[in-house]
Order: sequence, then structure tokens, then C-alpha cells
Amino acid sequence: MQRRNFLTQGSSLLMAATTPLVWADDKKSKSSEIRKTRPSPVPVAASGPAKSRVIVIGGGMAGATVAKYLRLWGDAVEVTLIERSATYTSNIMSSLVLTGQRSIGSLTYRYDALFNAYGIQVLTDEVTEIDPVKMTVRLARTGTLYADRIVLAPGIDFDEVPGLGNSDRMPHAWKAGPQTTLLAKQLAAMPDNGLAVLTIPKTPYRCPPGPYERACLLADWLKVRKPRAKLLVLDANLDFVTEKDNFSRAFLDLHGSVIEYHTNAEVTQVDPATMSITTTAGTFKGAHVVNMIPRQRAGSLVAKTGLANATEGRFAAVDPLTYASTLASRIHIIGDASATTQPKAGHIANQEAKVCADAIIRGLAGLAPDPAPVTNSACYSTITMSQASWLTAVFQYDPVSRTMKPAAASSAASVGWNQDNFDQMNTWFKALMADSFA
Amino acid sequence: MQTRLRILAAAALAVGCLSTAAQAQTPPNGRLLASNCFQCHGTNGKGPGFDRLAGKSASEIYNELREFQSGKEGDGIMARHAMGFTDAQLRSLSGWLATQR
Repeated sequence: MQRRNFLTQGSSLLMAATTPLVWADDKKSKSSEIRKTRPSPVPVAASGPAKSRVIVIGGGMAGATVAKYLRLWGDAVEVTLIERSATYTSNIMSSLVLTGQRSIGSLTYRYDALFNAYGIQVLTDEVTEIDPVKMTVRLARTGTLYADRIVLAPGIDFDEVPGLGNSDRMPHAWKAGPQTTLLAKQLAAMPDNGLAVLTIPKTPYRCPPGPYERACLLADWLKVRKPRAKLLVLDANLDFVTEKDNFSRAFLDLHGSVIEYHTNAEVTQVDPATMSITTTAGTFKGAHVVNMIPRQRAGSLVAKTGLANATEGRFAAVDPLTYASTLASRIHIIGDASATTQPKAGHIANQEAKVCADAIIRGLAGLAPDPAPVTNSACYSTITMSQASWLTAVFQYDPVSRTMKPAAASSAASVGWNQDNFDQMNTWFKALMADSFA
Repeated sequence: MQTRLRILAAAALAVGCLSTAAQAQTPPNGRLLASNCFQCHGTNGKGPGFDRLAGKSASEIYNELREFQSGKEGDGIMARHAMGFTDAQLRSLSGWLATQR
């Protein structure tokens, strides 16, 4: 029944798969047979050994990269990538859409290359349920699939903002797409002497420098486009979360005439009708534009599968040697949805994905994971519309704490900001996206 | 005699296949470490991005990284990256990158 549905309605959803999908029912009859033959020392026939199957859920920076590297590094692995959207819109660089310096189209990535160059099966579908014991994934339209390993890369979800309801008056624009375009329109329509508000949620959230760089960029844009406007930054944290030297200088000196910065201001209630925001540091009224970035948690599938066992149930605890869930050894969780000592950001999610792919390939061959993985984080922050700073760290595995620890000498930010960094940001972005999607 | 040779040949072939299969499953030394370079220098160091790494010798890459690590190349983002790796790690990833043409 499910198979018939797939063949009739679902075929357009599947990018001409090189190998047929394996259904949970089919797999049951074959799995014991495969397990019996796999350790056999007999040289394999020309058709090759039975391939292991990995399902990747989520086609963002982490998911796309793990799918690519599983195929690039693992000949004996079949990979299916399940993503609800037909394309990916990059969050990195998306604040430049707000200032009109980039289009959403320039941030849109397709999954064609992952299929064409690496033979990854790409399904545009919604995962409704994961069974971590049976290792099955149920899809809204395509049926139920079986996997030897499942990689969850669902990114983040937002907490509900009390009082906001389904109003579009206070967009988050923290998942790039329609929200970004909406906020750009609201900013453009703001009066010259208007008040814009940007809220920063409690850590951990996606892209630690992101809200500060957006504030800087918007302040620079307001000076030109809305010369008498103000930008109120309401930070739920006690201080700048990261890159304090640069951001504090930018907030207080460079953009001091535009930005008013409040710390320890966690949003408790909003009213989109009056455009007012109540926080732990008081109530702020009369805003024309509100960029409300809510508190974050792992994509809902993580909690639904019972794997949100860290950060007060917000994110998933994983072993950073493999990114396997601490609760389900064949389910790996990478990127912003996992709770590690590493920042939630696209560049390092790409590296977590490579460590995970390497560990899965080794694991499927009966080998132990690399005992000393290294990851790195790097990003550029727009301090003005044409100048940027940078921030970086290399993380080494620490066998005592079993965590990734930043190497002290490598953890640094640029001293100030300049045009060169802005140019390098564009080169970095192009390279990073190609390494993840092409 | 001929039969025996044939068996030996078959056995040798089988052993050859096995070792190749085992090698195929064991990731080459330095590859995962070197993949830290790919975000900025392209997959396998072949771009797009900053300087192309593929096509350089191991010593060329290692010596450049040592220069960055020592601070002689300034305090830029690449210097900080090099400072995050041990000497053994720099040698290992340079060795793997040198296999890319």
C-alpha cells in the first residue's frame, strides 16, 4: 500500500535514485542474511558486497556535509538525505539581505550536486517518526525506511514567545528565508526617526556572534538610510557572549550614536499590537521594527525521539568521537542540535559532519573511531556594511573530559575590523558552501 | 603441479583482495585532520576558496604551516589555525594533502 503510494505519487519526490530505496518490510527479511554474509572471508563477487545504509535527516550545513563525505569516503555506504525543503537557504550572510547587499536567491543552494556527484538519494519529505530500536524512519509521504545508521541534523527550533502568537510583526529572521525578507521589508518601511529592536536569547543559540554582527550591520545601515533612527539591543545574557573586544568597541564607540545596549534583558512577554516588549530589565514600548530572536532548542525530532537529554532537555548529548547519541549508539546527532563544547555554527557543523562520517564508515567496517579528532570554527562578522572582523578556534579531543577543548593558542579574534576581512568573508563563504553542497 | 600452482595463485589473489578490502575500509592517515582545511581551501584542497593546497609537496605544506604557527606570517586567521594543531598533526595532514594532485 505504502509502496504503491510511493510509486504513483512519490516518484517526483525522489531524484532518480541510482539504487532502489529499501523498505522496512524488505529489510527485515534480508537483514539476517546480510549479517551472516558480511564477515565472510570469501572475496566478493563483481556485484560488490551488500552496502550499509545511512539515512541523514536534515539538509543544512551539517546534514549536507555528512551525506557528501559518507559517499566521498565510504564506497560501501548508501546514503539517503531527507529534507523537507527542496532547497537550502544559508543563514550565514543572511543579515546582508536586511541591508539589501545580498538577495535570498544568492543564498539558495540546491541538492543536485549531492545527487549528481555523489549518488546521494535526496527525498523531499517530512520525517514523522524515528524508531531508535528498530532503526526505522517514517516519512509523511514516502513510507518507512530502514537504516544501519541514522544521522540527525535537524538544526534548531524556537521557543514560543509569550504574547506573540502567530503575528508577523516581530520576525526572528534566524532561519533565513521568508522571515528574512519580511524583516527587510519592515526595516525599509520604518520611519526615519524610528525605533528598531533586536533581542538576543540566552545561550546556547545558533551562531554566537550572529546577533551582535547583525546589530552592527543594521546600525551602519540605519546611519545612511534612517539617520535619526535608534537600535535597541536587548541581550538576555549578562554580557557580550563572544568577541567582546570588537563588539563592545563597535556598540559603544563606532555605533554609539545608534545602538542602545541592555544586558540581562530576557524577554518575558510581548504585545505585537502595541509593539512593546517586556523583559527582566524593564518594558520597552513604541518600537517600529522588532527582530525577536527567541530562545532555541534542537529541532523537534530530537526530543520526539527521546534524545534531548542535555542542556535541560533542549539539546542532545553526544560522544564527540562519533557524534552518536549517548542514548542510542546507531543514531548520530550533529550540528546545532547536539550539545557539545563547540559553538552552534555552520563552519564547525561542517567539520563535526566529517568526524561523524569518518566514524560511521569506520564503525560499519568494525573499526574504532579516530581517537583524537580535531575540529575548527571560523567566521567573519560584519562590523559595518564594508568591514568585518574574524573569530576562530581549533578544538582538540580531550580524553579525560571526553569533550572537545579549544586549543588556547588558536582561540582568537581579529584586533579590530577592516575591508580585507570583508573580502575574505566572501571567499570563505563561497568555499564553505562548496565544501558542504558541491 | 599445475593444479597446485593454480591453487597458490588463487590463494594469493584472495589474500590480495582481502588486504585491499581492509585497506579500503581503513581511512588513510591524516585525511580527517586535513579535512579541517577544506572549508576554506575546498574539498581535498582543490578550491574554490583560498590558496589551492592540492599539488604541493608535504614539506612545502608543512613548512608553510610552521611559518604560520611561529607567528612569522603575522597574527591572522591562518596563523591562529596553525597554532591549534600539534606538530605531529601538521605533519600528518601535510602528508595526506600531498597525495592530492
